[in-house]
Amino acid sequence: MILLQQLINAVSLGGVYALLALGLAIVFSIVGLINFAHGELMTISGYVLLASLAMGVPFAASVAVALAGAALAAVAMERIAFRPMRGADVTSLLLTSFAVSSLLKVVFQNGISARPQPVSMPGWMTSATAFGPVTLGHGPMLCIALSICALIGLELFLRYTTMGIAMRAAAADFDVVRLMGISAGRIIATAFLLSGLLAGLAAMLWLAQRASVDPLMGFTPVLKAFIATVIGGLGSLRGAVLGGFLLGVVEVLLQALLPSDILPYRDAIVLSAVIAVLMARPNGLIPAVNAQRS
Amino acid sequence: MTFSRTPGLAAAGLAALVCASGALAEDITIGVATAQTGGLAPFDQPALLGFRMAIEEINAKGGLGGSYPAELIVKDTRSDTAQTVTVGQELIDAGAQVMITPCDADPSIAIGQMTQPLSIPAFTFCGTAPILPLAVGDAMFGSYPGDNLQAAAVADLAIAEGKKTVYLLTSPDSTYTANLPEYFGIVFEAKGGSVVGRGSYTMGQPDFSAEVTKIKALPEPPDLIMTAAYEPDFPAFLQQLRAAGVETPIYGADALNTPTIQGLGKLADGIVFTAAGYAAPGSKLEAFNRAFEDYAGHAPESTYEVNGYEIAMIIDEAVRQAGSTDPEAIRAAIAGLSDFPSVTGSITYAGTTGMPVRAIALMRYADGVAEYVDTITPDAADVPAP
Repeated sequence: MILLQQLINAVSLGGVYALLALGLAIVFSIVGLINFAHGELMTISGYVLLASLAMGVPFAASVAVALAGAALAAVAMERIAFRPMRGADVTSLLLTSFAVSSLLKVVFQNGISARPQPVSMPGWMTSATAFGPVTLGHGPMLCIALSICALIGLELFLRYTTMGIAMRAAAADFDVVRLMGISAGRIIATAFLLSGLLAGLAAMLWLAQRASVDPLMGFTPVLKAFIATVIGGLGSLRGAVLGGFLLGVVEVLLQALLPSDILPYRDAIVLSAVIAVLMARPNGLIPAVNAQRS
Repeated sequence: MTFSRTPGLAAAGLAALVCASGALAEDITIGVATAQTGGLAPFDQPALLGFRMAIEEINAKGGLGGSYPAELIVKDTRSDTAQTVTVGQELIDAGAQVMITPCDADPSIAIGQMTQPLSIPAFTFCGTAPILPLAVGDAMFGSYPGDNLQAAAVADLAIAEGKKTVYLLTSPDSTYTANLPEYFGIVFEAKGGSVVGRGSYTMGQPDFSAEVTKIKALPEPPDLIMTAAYEPDFPAFLQQLRAAGVETPIYGADALNTPTIQGLGKLADGIVFTAAGYAAPGSKLEAFNRAFEDYAGHAPESTYEVNGYEIAMIIDEAVRQAGSTDPEAIRAAIAGLSDFPSVTGSITYAGTTGMPVRAIALMRYADGVAEYVDTITPDAADVPAP
């Protein structure tokens, strides 16, 4: 029964990682940029939620505002920081994203507060229902449900809308898409918009579990998401989702099953497993169609 | 690099930088290497504010010991140990005669390695690891109650409340999170309690669900959970623990004495923590809190402000007794301080290895308010060896 409980925990964490990894992968598949400032989009979303709750906006509306905030911030980030770098090599793009990330962290610390700000989530979200020996936390269940919905929604968007098809085509061959008369700027902006939305959604689920927003909160998630996209196959959306779930499941199960003496080595074990996966499949579990290698 | 916002102090700091020998003969240069950004900033920022306030008051009265104006050179360590070393060296080169180090053992030890051979007295802002002065030497001092002292006080309270079993949650990532709960375990077991389980987490870990499930699955729920986890990990653990329906009370230490934890409201109900002092009506601490509010424009967030203030008072007293600006003389005077009447109570260094003997206030959150429980000075015999 404990195992079942831990499995639910695992899938719930995996769902958040999958959302984050997907956000990274969408941008990477089109622009060839691993956006390390993706985590700061989560932080922005958290602060927007906090601000709008503080202004007395109802919870549901605040969440919508926070999602929109993250999406707009992502588009602004592209316009201000990444557009001037378009066509630059992978390393320059990577360094730009690190710069944006560091800059934002310092702005949050000195402009807002170095101290984490408490966020009170509604009671129903932080309580649990017991079914016999298994306790289903509402937060984790919501996490699983929302990540699945978001993944399905994204799949439908990419498959059936013109912009979605254009984005998939751009991931395969950007130059040909532009020859078809589709605006590169719009495709890239949409990719950032989607990645911002996913970051915002992940932030809401993250906050439901962590109860506070702090200036540095984006660092760990973006690192995990990066690992997930690499395991899955850089640039492959399905790979990112698989990588995210896999990472979450492995982390939680190791935390649950390792004896406490070995527990501090959990992250080392996880990262060793990542190396093992990459040695067996250098392009990831589900490689992108035309993998962009750095 | 962060220079003082006060133009006079900034100019003084600049002058100290230009002047290779450090300060003018009659001044004392205090190098302040603190984290104004990064993970330690929530603790170092308030401490620095209290420290500045005290130095300004002291300088208005003629300076440290009444006759040696203090010059602060403040630099940001960015909560990064490598950067801390760089900043420490820069401050020593600028002629620091007294050094202030960040609110954590690891960066403080890094700077202590450089200040110790020069006999420059160094104070950690609120680092509480009792091993800190042992790892560095006789020129390293703490001012906050040590981890072992705090843990002994909390254990005394738990025993007095009739608690019998405890679950310890530690993280090997810092001396504070790794050792404090274990010190608690030692005292708790020595006084008849028992440790029924141990859990571990990684600092910055997003998800505590696996740990929480383990606690929930214990055959008998423990009477309390002891942890030195702090924000942002602690709110995450607490949220996930309560969301899973575990109502076991949590006991922690000084790092839970922050507006963030208090701001968690009902979620934080029943949490026991420690503070350097309690502002009883009419107490010196209450008067300090009012003066601080006038100075900073906001009330103190915690007792880190008063702790920063007290460090400046200790240096002031030591310079008065030493009657000189010689770092070694100041160091010896600090090490010999006994029953120094400070804001939160009396502080003694004489006979210690560098962590002070002082009383500890125990507090508990109820309905989003920190309530005073007791003030305890643990028996020296009960305090576990570092």
